[in-house]
Amino acid sequence: MAREIVDQHCYVALTDDPLDAKSIMDRVRSPKAGAIVLFAGTTRDNFGGKPVKELQYTSYEPRALQTMTAICKSLLEKHSLTAIAMIHRLGVVPIGEESILIAVSSPHRQAAWRAGEEALEECKSKVEVWKKEEFGGEEGGIWRANRDGAAGVRIDSGDKKEPAEGPHGPILRPGRPGEKGHGPVVHLNTAGENKP
Amino acid sequence: MSTASKPPAGHFTILYFASASSYTARDSENLPAPLPVSKLFEVLEVKYSGIKPKILDSCLLTINLEYVDVTDDSASDVVIKECDEVAIIPPVSSG
Repeated sequence: MAREIVDQHCYVALTDDPLDAKSIMDRVRSPKAGAIVLFAGTTRDNFGGKPVKELQYTSYEPRALQTMTAICKSLLEKHSLTAIAMIHRLGVVPIGEESILIAVSSPHRQAAWRAGEEALEECKSKVEVWKKEEFGGEEGGIWRANRDGAAGVRIDSGDKKEPAEGPHGPILRPGRPGEKGHGPVVHLNTAGENKP
Repeated sequence: MSTASKPPAGHFTILYFASASSYTARDSENLPAPLPVSKLFEVLEVKYSGIKPKILDSCLLTINLEYVDVTDDSASDVVIKECDEVAIIPPVSSG
């Protein structure tokens, strides 16, 4: 069952079921649109060459749906889109299947291309969904973070990690929000006021 | 699954996701309210030794679905109230 928010020309949803490209395209299909751009993100069988057995996604669902809505509304206005739809699959997603679909329609193709890419980047940096990669064997799973392909957090890590080495020695400064894979702290809301 | 049932009187609910959930070995729990937000990480560090440097320092915080900047001094007088829903938000990895 999909949990969804439908708001005029924006559709966002989270579901445990396999994703269907045709149905998400139909969400943005319109006689006013001359282009639909569809992005399908699929699950890879490795991370940096290391075989991945399966992927599992969890979410803070009400918060994620709000963030997805804010992203879509902001892009709808910025690129004068006809419509935009975004759906993310949760739970176990077998390798090679879609974990996310984004469909964007606009009168002309350029706006749809651009908005489609921005929608994905915004989603990856802000939407409250987490991916766990299971490598199999003794290593256990790793919660991935969408920051610069960083290695993520080992679930079973008991030993203390050494601070990262900077050019002048270990980096001991505390982290700031925005540099650890989060976007900056912004109060996204459903009124779509997160203008750049 | 992610939104827990209403906490008992005098408590708030805290939700743990991803690495925070693995570290605490739970998805959620109820903690005594009221609690100044500036004291939350200390309370969690007492309960789950090592969680602050290993997990919380790279996490964001929401109260009733709104982000609260814990590094901002102006947020230091925010108080978590009875029945609030607090969530620890690790770096996201959607897509």
